[in-house]
Amino acid sequence: STTISSSTDTETDSVQIGEEQCARSMLRESFLRTLIAMTNKQVQFYMYERVKVNAVFGASDIDVLNFQVSDLQTPIGVQKEALLRCQDVILYSFDL
Amino acid sequence: MVEWRQLKPLEWCKYVNKKVKVTAHEKHQFDGWVFTVDPVSASIVLVTFQEKGGTATVRVVTGHAVQEVEILQEGNEETARRLRDTFMPLGGQVLSL
Repeated sequence: STTISSSTDTETDSVQIGEEQCARSMLRESFLRTLIAMTNKQVQFYMYERVKVNAVFGASDIDVLNFQVSDLQTPIGVQKEALLRCQDVILYSFDL
Repeated sequence: MVEWRQLKPLEWCKYVNKKVKVTAHEKHQFDGWVFTVDPVSASIVLVTFQEKGGTATVRVVTGHAVQEVEILQEGNEETARRLRDTFMPLGGQVLSL
């Protein structure tokens, strides 16, 4: 079956889409500012299996799938440069 | 609760500037003031303010690890301003492409 929405419905939809887009861009901008604030900071990462590691945050890819970090302190030594997969991370923490 | 990652931006907005308790995988619990929720990864940014020295601790719980978010306390203008001041550039610096 085909449903043809009335013009008022369409207007309501577009207002809702506008509000949603506005909320999305505000939330995203704030998140990007969080990443900027984290750059070159010492960050503690809580991974699965209760593993905690420290590293200096460098950058993230746009989808927040990977973090580029430096001086990653692992139980078997310090890794000069590394990529952390975000799916392995539960929480990351830093001070401002 | 509907899965955290499935919420819409306007629903995430309801948590902004409020104090929450987040339950994550492996029974971790964290609380703090919500600065934002990344609409791409659903990661939630929590801030706790230290009374001494005016420093802030920022904790980000990744969206896939969030199990439950409970509101503990409503925010006010003062909280919103402190959160903004923590991350926003001073002196109206403009970021451009």
